[in-house]
Parts: sequence; C-alpha cells; structure tokens
Amino acid sequence: MARSIRLEDVRKEYHTAGTTHLAVDDLSLEIPEGSFTTIVGPSGCGKTTTLRMIAGLETPTSGSIHFGDRDVTDVRPQDRNAAMVFQSIALYPHMTVRENIAYGLKVAGVPKAERRAAVDEAATTLQIGEQLEKMPAELSGGQQQRVALGSAFVQDPDVLLLDEPMSDLDAKLKAELRVEVQRLHKEMDATMVYVTHDQTEAMTMSDYVLLLEGGRLAQFAPPGDLFDRPVSQYVAEFIGTPSTNALPATVEIGEGGPVVVGEWFEIPAPPDPFEDRIGDAVTLGIRPQYLSPDGGDHRVRVVVDVVEQLGTEFVIHGTGLDGTHINVVDESVGDATASDELDVGFDAADAFVFDDDGRTICHGDRLVAARSRPNQ
Amino acid sequence: MIDLGGGAAGKYVSQHTQERIRRTAVVLTALLVAIFVSIPVYVMIAIAFQPSTTTFRGGTVSLLFDSFTLDNFVLLFTDTGTPRYLFNSLLVTASSTLLATALSVAAGYGLTRFEFRGKTMAARAVLFAYMFSPIVLAIPLYVIFFTLGLLDSYFALTMALTGISAPFGIWLMWQYFQTVPEALEESAWIRGAGRVRTLWDVVLPVARPGTIATAIFAFSVAWNDFTMARVVMSQDEMYTITVGASLFLDRASIGWSETMAAAVLMSLPPFAIALFLQNYLLQGFNVGGLE
Repeated sequence: MARSIRLEDVRKEYHTAGTTHLAVDDLSLEIPEGSFTTIVGPSGCGKTTTLRMIAGLETPTSGSIHFGDRDVTDVRPQDRNAAMVFQSIALYPHMTVRENIAYGLKVAGVPKAERRAAVDEAATTLQIGEQLEKMPAELSGGQQQRVALGSAFVQDPDVLLLDEPMSDLDAKLKAELRVEVQRLHKEMDATMVYVTHDQTEAMTMSDYVLLLEGGRLAQFAPPGDLFDRPVSQYVAEFIGTPSTNALPATVEIGEGGPVVVGEWFEIPAPPDPFEDRIGDAVTLGIRPQYLSPDGGDHRVRVVVDVVEQLGTEFVIHGTGLDGTHINVVDESVGDATASDELDVGFDAADAFVFDDDGRTICHGDRLVAARSRPNQ
Repeated sequence: MIDLGGGAAGKYVSQHTQERIRRTAVVLTALLVAIFVSIPVYVMIAIAFQPSTTTFRGGTVSLLFDSFTLDNFVLLFTDTGTPRYLFNSLLVTASSTLLATALSVAAGYGLTRFEFRGKTMAARAVLFAYMFSPIVLAIPLYVIFFTLGLLDSYFALTMALTGISAPFGIWLMWQYFQTVPEALEESAWIRGAGRVRTLWDVVLPVARPGTIATAIFAFSVAWNDFTMARVVMSQDEMYTITVGASLFLDRASIGWSETMAAAVLMSLPPFAIALFLQNYLLQGFNVGGLE
C-alpha cells in the first residue's frame, strides 16, 4: 500500500571534530501517496541525507517523519516497509541474481516456491530472465541496475527510494532505464522518491520535484511549475538547460506607472508590487529558449562567444553589452560566428522578475497584465 | 658534447629489450630464492626418509637418495611422545585459530562500523601490541597463569597464543571490513535483515578472503610457536610438537634422522594450507597493504 511521506521540521546536523555541519535545515513537506517525487539539487545540498532519513538509515536531529498516519521517526529501517536502490547498486557479490532479488523475501520468511514465482515475474518485467542464474559480476551495468530495481519490485514496498541509481550509466542506458523506472512506478503501489543531480531526469520523470538549496527547501512543486513559475532566481537558474539568463535592471517610474528598465529594454510593470520598489535593483530572468532573433517585444544585444549545435537547435553563449553572460537557444542562429553582434528579442510574458535577494517578485503573466492597461 | 645515443633522455633501450631484461631478472631472483629455500627442505627430507646408517655412513653425511625407509617415523610413534605432542599441537592450534579469528572478525567489524570514544587509541594499541616479541609477553603471562593456577593447561596456552596472533588479525580484519561497502549492509537492513543476520548473510561471505587470511595467520602463529609452549607447559605430556621435538636430541636413543622425521611431520599442515588456501592468503594480505 502506497503511503504519503510527511516531513515535519526535519533537521539533520553532523558533528565532526568540534564543527557542526547542517545538512538538512527545517524541511517540511508532504509527498502525496503513490506519487513520483524527485529530489534534486547541486552536490552537498542534502538530497541524499533527506532520502536516507526517509529510509531510516539516518536519524533526524530534530523533527519527525511520517508514512501515512504512522510516525516512523524512530522506527528501524527494517520495519518501515521501504525499499531502496543505491547509487553503488549494492548487489551481494556472493549470491546469484536470483538470490539477490529474493533476499528480502527470504528474510521475511516467504516460502521458496512463492519466492521463485515472484522473482520470475520481476525478471520478466525487467527483461533479465536470462540472467537469473548468473553472478552479479557477470552482468553489465545496466543489467545490474535492473536487478537492483527487481529486488525492490518483489518486496512490494510502501515507499520506494532511489539514490542516484543511474549516475554511473551512459546516456543511452539512462534513457532506457528512465522508461523502466516509470513503468515500475505504474505497476507498483508505492510512493517513489528519486534522488538525482540531473535536472533532466527530475523534469521528465516526476509528478513533483523537490529542489533543495543548502539543506533548505527551495521549491516543491510539479516540474512544469518549477520551469514556468520558479519562486526564486536559484530555482529558475537550476532548472532548465542552459541556465536562465539573469539581466540586471532597475525599477523606475514610467509614464503609466512603474517600469523595469534594463540596458536595452523597458517593461511596464504592475503597480502592485512594483510601486513600493521604485529605484530598487532587480534581476530580469529570461530562459535562453525564449530569446529569438525574430520576434519579441523587447530586445537585447548579444556579442557571440561560442556557438554549439544541439541537433536542430543551436546554443549561443554570449555576452551582453554590460558584461552579463547571456545564452540563446534557437534554430535560426546557426550561422552566427564568434564576436558577431546579435539582436534577440523576448516577450514580457516569458520573463521573471527577481528582487535583490533572488526571490521572485512576479512572473511574466503579471507583467503582461500590467501592459494591457497601460494608462492605469 | 657527450653523445647520448638515441634520445635526449639518455641511451635508447627498446621496449622489447627492457621487457626481456625485466623478465630475466625476475626469473633469476625467483630461482635464487627457490634454491635458498629448498636446500634445507631437501636435507630434511633426505635425512628423514633414509636409515641413519645410510645417511651417516663412514663418518660423513650423505645426502643422495639411495634407499628409502619409514623406520624413523615408526620409531617416533612407538618410542617417543610424538603422538601426544602432535595431538597437543593440533588441539591448541585449532582452538587458538578459532578464538583469534572470531575475536578479529568481531573487533575488526566493530572498529570499522561503530564510532566510539577512544577508537583511534584502541586501534593504535592493537598495532602496538603486535610489535611486542612473544618473549616480552611470555614472562608476564607466566606470572598471570601461575597466579591463576592455569599453568600446564590447554586453556592457558590457547589464550597466550591468541594474545600473539589476535592483534595482527584484528588489524587485518579492520582493514578488510573497510573494503566492504556499507551500502551492502544498508540494503540488507532495509530489506528487513537485522544487524546479526546481515553480518552472517552479507558481511562475512564478502569478507571471507580476509577472514581466511586471518585464520591462516593465527594458525601459523600457533602451530610454529615455541616460546609460549615452553613457558606455559612444564610436563612432558603437555608439550607441543615444537617443544617436544627440540628435546629429542637430548635423548640417547633419538638421532638426527628421527628429529628430521618430526620436522617433516611438523611441516605437513602448513604445507597443506599453503597449497590449498594460497589464493585467499594473497587476497587478504593485498587489502592489508602488505603485498
């Protein structure tokens, strides 16, 4: 039975040699039952620590963890009915693939015939039927990962935890296994939590993404929301490749109310909340995908440094006139060369405005709303 | 300007030639060591398996095989305490090997997986203890066993031998357990296995090469021990084969031939172990950084 996972003010400190390292800082959230949630963030942001606390391998310094209605904060990992796939895969080298998959059932005292049937079913689902009598060392990396997934599958856990299970695989295998993991999620009645540093995995697979920043929750939302409605500059820059462009700007008084003014652009802004911020330095965020040489109401001039081809699209790494780094992703910029000057445009609807501390002041939709009634 | 031959880095020697020189050097060294080691073994076998009348004929020692006999062994088993010595050795070696290995596995696992106050101190103390020569321990142990009334007992000798072999065994297992990924254990816990079951099902099988290396080491310490047996045991029927054989030459009826036969008997168990378990020994010591 899938269960929701609720973290309440969870905090984890490590003490080493007199110094305290805060790995997870007052994390509170509820992962809905049966959902697929990805924890993502840069190295050392506390994502693996969070997962290990959910698994029971680490005990929170304070706060509590609940599976459904059950407080599991002090429950041993053995008694949580969770399954976990490790980054190192962690297959037992002295057991055959079949014994590896069946180990949890054996510990639980499931009779041999039932174990056999369960392993055969898992092996068919994961296409490792041929490998069952081999030793783990004889398998390729992708097959080993399938065995690890199979071990989790046969356990019928309430909660399935995956700790960067694909970080050592090549891109093609990753894509294959990504599909496999999603298929498992559909077949299993389990809440899945998946840790990765690869935001593409996070964006493509999950119902919810939990983005961490230095042990704190940066944003917990469906992937589309993280992309379109980031709550901070950190979220906007972490999610999406290449990273969101950050253009410096100031809030000024225009003819019809406040405007966000940058080197080349002047965007009307709604009185609320911009009226109180006249004179403030702000940052305008715009995704490289929304910058295009043709079209757009507002323009930016970019000096081209490097052009990369990504299939049908091209990525331009360039510099704005004020020295800010600006990336452009477009199909029509392939013939640009280094030190060319390129005018690209964007619509206010696609922009974000961040304050000095990196918090989002408003998203593009409100900027556009301001514009439609310019004489207010 | 000095002519440096082929290149600026010095005289040019082809890869092929270098490889040949390297291989010849290895073979020569191995051959030298082999000769050095096998001559005494040959002498031992030649004397043990020939009648003393042949070996010492004419006042000189003849080491060429021209006859074969098992009489020396028969004499050992009928006229001396050899069967009893062998039994004592086997018993004490077996119990000390078991005890030292169990202790090393338990302590090594604890040092690897648990944090506790004074852990570094404990680890250093273990290595420090290993550096003592057995004779340094022998006198204090004698006093302890004497006070406890344990002299002339298998128990005392087992403890004394374990005291010599366990420090190194603990250190070896400590190193070995560090190579067993923690994720293996954690994965077993999450699947429902408790710590003891995990240790039994997962950790010990994975650490088997290290455990076997530890056991072999404990065996060789106990089997080859002379000092402790000499100090702890004072009655003839409690002597181990090493002590017993060393006393043969004091007796008029026993000569070099029988002593060499006893030496052959003593060499058999280590020889069998080296033959069957050498792979484990190498694996275990590799991890210990003792190549």
